[in-house]
Amino acid sequence: MSTRAKPAFTGRRARFIALCLLPGVVFVLLFTYYPMVRGAIIAFQRYNLFDLTATPFVGLENFQAVLAEDRFWTALRNTGTWVVVSLLFQFVLGFGLALLLRRHFRGRGLYQAWVFFPWAMSGFLIGLLWRWMFNGQFGVINDLLLKAGIIDERIGFLASPGWAMTSVIVANVWYGVTFFAIMIMAALQSVPRELYEAASVDGASRLRQFWHVTLPHIRPTLALIVLLRIIWILNFPDLIYAMTGGGPAGSTDIITTFLIQQVAGGDYGRAGAVGLLVLGLLLAFSVFYLNATRFEKAR
Amino acid sequence: MKSPLLAAAAAATLVLAGCGSGSSSSSGEVQLRMIESLTSPERTKLIKTLIADFEKANPGVTVELVSPPLESADQKITQILQTKKDLDVLEVRDHTAKSFTNNGWLAELPTTDWPGWADLTELAQTKAVEVGGKPYLIPYGFYQRTLFYRTDYGMTAPPKTWQELYEAGKAMTTKDRFGYSFRGGKGGADYAVMMISAYNGEALDPEKSFFLKDKRTIFATPEATQALDLYVKIFKEASPPDSVSWGYPEMVQGFTSGVTGMLIQDPEVIKTVEESGVTAWSTAPIPKGPSGYAFQPVGYAGWGATSFSAHPKEAVKLVQFLSESAQSIAFAKGNSLIPISKQAQSDPQFSQGAWKAYLEAQQDPKQVITIRPVDYPGWSQFNVDSDRDIQALITGKKTTAEVLKSWDAFWTDQAKKVS
Repeated sequence: MSTRAKPAFTGRRARFIALCLLPGVVFVLLFTYYPMVRGAIIAFQRYNLFDLTATPFVGLENFQAVLAEDRFWTALRNTGTWVVVSLLFQFVLGFGLALLLRRHFRGRGLYQAWVFFPWAMSGFLIGLLWRWMFNGQFGVINDLLLKAGIIDERIGFLASPGWAMTSVIVANVWYGVTFFAIMIMAALQSVPRELYEAASVDGASRLRQFWHVTLPHIRPTLALIVLLRIIWILNFPDLIYAMTGGGPAGSTDIITTFLIQQVAGGDYGRAGAVGLLVLGLLLAFSVFYLNATRFEKAR
Repeated sequence: MKSPLLAAAAAATLVLAGCGSGSSSSSGEVQLRMIESLTSPERTKLIKTLIADFEKANPGVTVELVSPPLESADQKITQILQTKKDLDVLEVRDHTAKSFTNNGWLAELPTTDWPGWADLTELAQTKAVEVGGKPYLIPYGFYQRTLFYRTDYGMTAPPKTWQELYEAGKAMTTKDRFGYSFRGGKGGADYAVMMISAYNGEALDPEKSFFLKDKRTIFATPEATQALDLYVKIFKEASPPDSVSWGYPEMVQGFTSGVTGMLIQDPEVIKTVEESGVTAWSTAPIPKGPSGYAFQPVGYAGWGATSFSAHPKEAVKLVQFLSESAQSIAFAKGNSLIPISKQAQSDPQFSQGAWKAYLEAQQDPKQVITIRPVDYPGWSQFNVDSDRDIQALITGKKTTAEVLKSWDAFWTDQAKKVS
């Protein structure tokens, strides 16, 4: 099939195809790769909005400045907590939700639409909503907890360093569960029914069916969506930025909110350096992760 | 043109921002493109009516207004300016003025053959030439803070000093009610600086407001320590614990919902409080330090013309039109701003009710307006860093001495970079 199609990709036809692809390619080049390359170049320049008339190349100065800051390392540690805890809960709850939604029940379509709704909203907007819900004085969460008698005094969720990280993670879990639910549900639908029938004929319990039929079947998909999620959660400062701005006193700063702060401070050079560091980190992690999961599959 | 790609990106951004077709149309007409920064739906509507008046008065000139969302507006404006294309009139803020003039993006506005100049208040004229020494923008109004207080929470008179504010606030504080709408979140450090300035009193140099007349920073004095200690006490004993993370909306909500009894904010809050249903309230000038002085910078933004406009004459005309008394007063009223026109002083809206406190402050020589040190390269960075320090301070992660020491070091270093 493919060999037969090959000659068709020459001459006028090829030109036509290239022409059709052009807008997409130009768009991606212009809005994804150009800013990326430009950002990478800026990382090696002195590039402060305060004065753009002189933007000399300064080698690794920006990187040194960033790495010398305690706040960078705090942000890095926080990023670990933020990613791991968010991911864990999103995964477990999302998986549960997907399993529940697999069953047929009345109004399932409507219910699914409701469940998936958060995924369509902007992260910043969600952040603003949660910021008010978690508000220590007028927030609805405090109100409910008080009325239910669970707490005696209002909690300043976003005001205390201990609670703030928990709060932003709760919001993030709420937001991200949906993604896992959608993806896992799609994966579940690809598991052939006959396998379950065969398993139950063999007398396998539901748990064993899940463990020996469902899981092995969807494992490659799981590995991939977990990787995607890790990257997205790490690159998701919107929520934190809207809820706490990285505060109080940096206790919810992750590496990408730290980056935004560099931009807000007008130092695009340093921001570029942080951007490159994030990119490097993610690249290294992805390579490691993909190798690790592939090894597992081969086994 | 520095970079054609960047130009294309910025042009595309403009299109995406929803402004449709570009450059001037046929038949010899002039089309100006104008961009605003502090965008809000009602304000955009107001600007559009003013523009319509301008177009009526100047046949053959049309103005296209671009209104990017507030959060990213200044970055978008900067991007467009970098391309030096397709922009004639723009909103310049006190925060962006320095960078825009440094980079040569703004045109000098003529003042001699324009009768509107003489109608500007002294403050407006000063601020117009503050950055870069020449009029690169005409302010359209000012933001200045005033004290809002509840008259039914046991206060007979407004606090005149920060010490009085602390005492009144503490007396008001119960389990569910607090004295003061504290700002611990974004912009919080500004309030600490306000107190430190007031405590430094006469020694402070209002022209370079982070420095004293003897060139030391305002953070190096024992008075600064006193001020910041009291600042922490106001937070701990007279403010909601939750206010560690409060920014503008929470502070205002705190006051209008009755959780707090005092609030220091800009004049646009007057409208919000009036509409909130709170009836027993009043305003007063901001509290002073022990020396009897209060200092605060005045926030402003204005209209400017680009240095690369294809229609410089019309662009300047539009800026002048917007800055003339009828238009500027309408704009100030619509946005609850302190007006720039001398004629506004006889306008009842600006001399009665909650606005009276502003008049009072203007007439008090010890309520001093300062200039923010925006022309130091580290200014933007300090804004970000200092807010974080303030949160560390009030949550007990840093001491007053540590914070002041680092601020003093930062600004001593900045002073070396500028002079």
